[in-house]
Amino acid sequence: MRYEIRVAGTMSEAMLEEGFPELESFVIADQTVLAGRIVDEAHLYGLLTRFQHLGLRITELRQLPD
Amino acid sequence: MSTVATEPGGPAVPKGRSSRFGADPLLGARLRVPPVPTTFVRRPRLAERLTHGVREHVLVLVNGPAGAGKTLLTSDWARAFAAPDRPAWLTVEVEDNAPEFFWAVLRQALGQAGALAQETATARRADPAEQPAERLAAELAACRRPVVIVLDEFERMTNPEIVEGLHLLLRRADGKLRLVLVSRNEPLLPLHRYRAAGEIAEIRAADLAFSTEEASELLRLHDLSLSPEGVGALTERTQGWAAGLRLFALAAAGAPDCERYLKEFEAGHSTIADFLLAEVLDAQPSEARDLLLRTSVLERIHPALANALTGGGDAERILDDLARANAFVTPVNGSWYRQHPLFAQILRVQLRARCPGLQQKLHLTAARWLHQAGLLDDALRHAIAAGEWRTAAEWFVGDLAVEQYFSRAGIGVSAALLEGMPTGVRGPSAELIRAARALAAADLPAGTAHLERAATTCAATAGDDAPLALSAAFLRLVAARLNGSTVAAEDAAEAVERLRRRLPADRWNDHPLLAVRLLTDLAAARLWAGNLASARATLLAALARADGTDPRDRYEPLALLALVELLTGATGRAETRARQAVTEVAHTRGDSGDRPAVAYLVLAQVAMERGDLAAARRSAQHTAGPGAGAGAESGRDPVQAVITAVVRSRLALRHGDPWQALSALDAAEHPGAAEDPSPWARGLTALAASEALVMAGDTRAAVEVLSHPEAGGADHAVAMARAHLAAGARGPRSGPCPTSCRVRPRSPPVPCW
Repeated sequence: MRYEIRVAGTMSEAMLEEGFPELESFVIADQTVLAGRIVDEAHLYGLLTRFQHLGLRITELRQLPD
Repeated sequence: MSTVATEPGGPAVPKGRSSRFGADPLLGARLRVPPVPTTFVRRPRLAERLTHGVREHVLVLVNGPAGAGKTLLTSDWARAFAAPDRPAWLTVEVEDNAPEFFWAVLRQALGQAGALAQETATARRADPAEQPAERLAAELAACRRPVVIVLDEFERMTNPEIVEGLHLLLRRADGKLRLVLVSRNEPLLPLHRYRAAGEIAEIRAADLAFSTEEASELLRLHDLSLSPEGVGALTERTQGWAAGLRLFALAAAGAPDCERYLKEFEAGHSTIADFLLAEVLDAQPSEARDLLLRTSVLERIHPALANALTGGGDAERILDDLARANAFVTPVNGSWYRQHPLFAQILRVQLRARCPGLQQKLHLTAARWLHQAGLLDDALRHAIAAGEWRTAAEWFVGDLAVEQYFSRAGIGVSAALLEGMPTGVRGPSAELIRAARALAAADLPAGTAHLERAATTCAATAGDDAPLALSAAFLRLVAARLNGSTVAAEDAAEAVERLRRRLPADRWNDHPLLAVRLLTDLAAARLWAGNLASARATLLAALARADGTDPRDRYEPLALLALVELLTGATGRAETRARQAVTEVAHTRGDSGDRPAVAYLVLAQVAMERGDLAAARRSAQHTAGPGAGAGAESGRDPVQAVITAVVRSRLALRHGDPWQALSALDAAEHPGAAEDPSPWARGLTALAASEALVMAGDTRAAVEVLSHPEAGGADHAVAMARAHLAAGARGPRSGPCPTSCRVRPRSPPVPCW
């Protein structure tokens, strides 16, 4: 399943590449949009925890059609 | 516990060892209210809500994102109270998800705050089936006034069983416990019920957010001055997020013009912590930057360890400066420091981005340093993070930590860390760990296979490794006990004794549990061979070594000693020992393993001898734990399998059912993992069988069953006489009584042991 996660603010390159290497990303209007394949629920919750640990604020989370 | 070892070329570091919860030299830091930096902004509106909260409610939540200032707020509030009123504190760690650790450490935290004074008095009356939460609740309910405890970083607590236990604790403590949970996430408690009952006070992200006035105060404490509009803009941009404000203050302090720096920051759209942290980091002198990045892999930082990671020599000064400037690190305990969890996470990302591939090397360097310092658990954590499973396994075995698999108090921290060891990891140490895991689960075939594999790989590498050889011999003894081979047990015990002389004395003495288990298993093997006197002496030696181990680890030697006393006819002593054993289990709740049964079996037999059948039945019921069928329960230890069968058989006989008595003895035919009953075991079962057969009226079989050469002794002679007497009185029957025969004997039951 593919998910799209939106984070408030522009994330740095270092953060995107090393913090979330499994996701693709682009930036629009004060938001960073990350998307990618999520293996299972464990991965999803682990990912959400990672955003939390890194002090990032999620503004939107949705599943994308495959 | 706090002996001191000197790191070559470095300052003294606390000497730890393979630790259960009690032996961790850094545990103290988790039980202490964390320090508050000079730049902390005291916010009375929130402190008052905490004070009011614990006065009026049983539960207080402090929930907010990472870096919202939850811990500082709560610790500053707690520090305002003097000794007897100061809240107890526990910083939760991932290990606490194991219930045995959590309840023990929670008890320790409460005890340290002086909340559990009469602990021993109440502990005596405890019921062994009671949950740790229920027991703690009873103790707290008996307190004169409410006790406040703060559980910080509670988001690490993910075990619903423990959270449920806390809910129970709050319900049962009769309002004498006030729980403050500091967490990034809402706890799994049924919060709606607490809310509906008005039993909860909540401080949430919106409350924790800094107001413009508070932000202005924070900047002033950092010697920064911004215009009121500037402060307003900053507060809005950071949404009052404490970490953002703090990072801004640090970053702006390095900028030539504070207002202009704010303008740039305000105009940008970067994520706050990510961006500001990089700015602050780059403004640091290169050694400090390097140190911060490299030590981000650590849970806690010792200056000497930091030096090992940076290759520098003045980590102590740098850390002190950083702590003073309130930049990223805070002192925790003695000379240890800790990075703010949020910043450490971001620094780790920066480390990976700036120095690709370095993280693994740092983990390995840290692992080696921690291993040298004797902090096995931390060393293993880093070795595993570096992917060095084989090294981790070698250190674990080298520290004689295989004992951790065999404590009744539960698996040790280091052993738990190695649970994830991949199957591909080779080497004698890894095989021994697998053998220990299998043998602890009473899987004899797997245990033996791994032991053999360890022996062959060990011979191939031809090492002269005393701890490795000792651990292997110890595990051979465990295996020998399980399959009832006394000769192998004696051999293995001798090998351990020989090998331990090659170890430094304190290494052996640091592992009293190993000695206790060793002597207990040896005694069980001797008992199995029928050597009651030497089994007794060995059990007494085990008990003498058991001081300082978990009370639960005294259970088995006590229970076996009770059994030995019973078998030698000392009924009174047997009962005393059995009751002692049961009390040790009651002291802290035992697991559902099979061995507690022995003490209850002894008590059942003692009661039977006194003719108190009701008491005997009650005690015997304890031997069938929840979910443990007769087969599963007697599946492990051959001694216990035989004793269980014999006592059940006698109990059935007392209830006038010789057929059930005979079928109970079937379980003794293939006791546990042992292929055959020992001659001693055969003697015991033969006596029981003979009695049952007499009652069943099959006197010829009753005589015959006693005619095996291994049977002997006074009991045997009495039984034989009884069988012959019955035969004479009734005349011999033709052929044995078939088990399907359901004719009740007319004569009353004959009591005997």
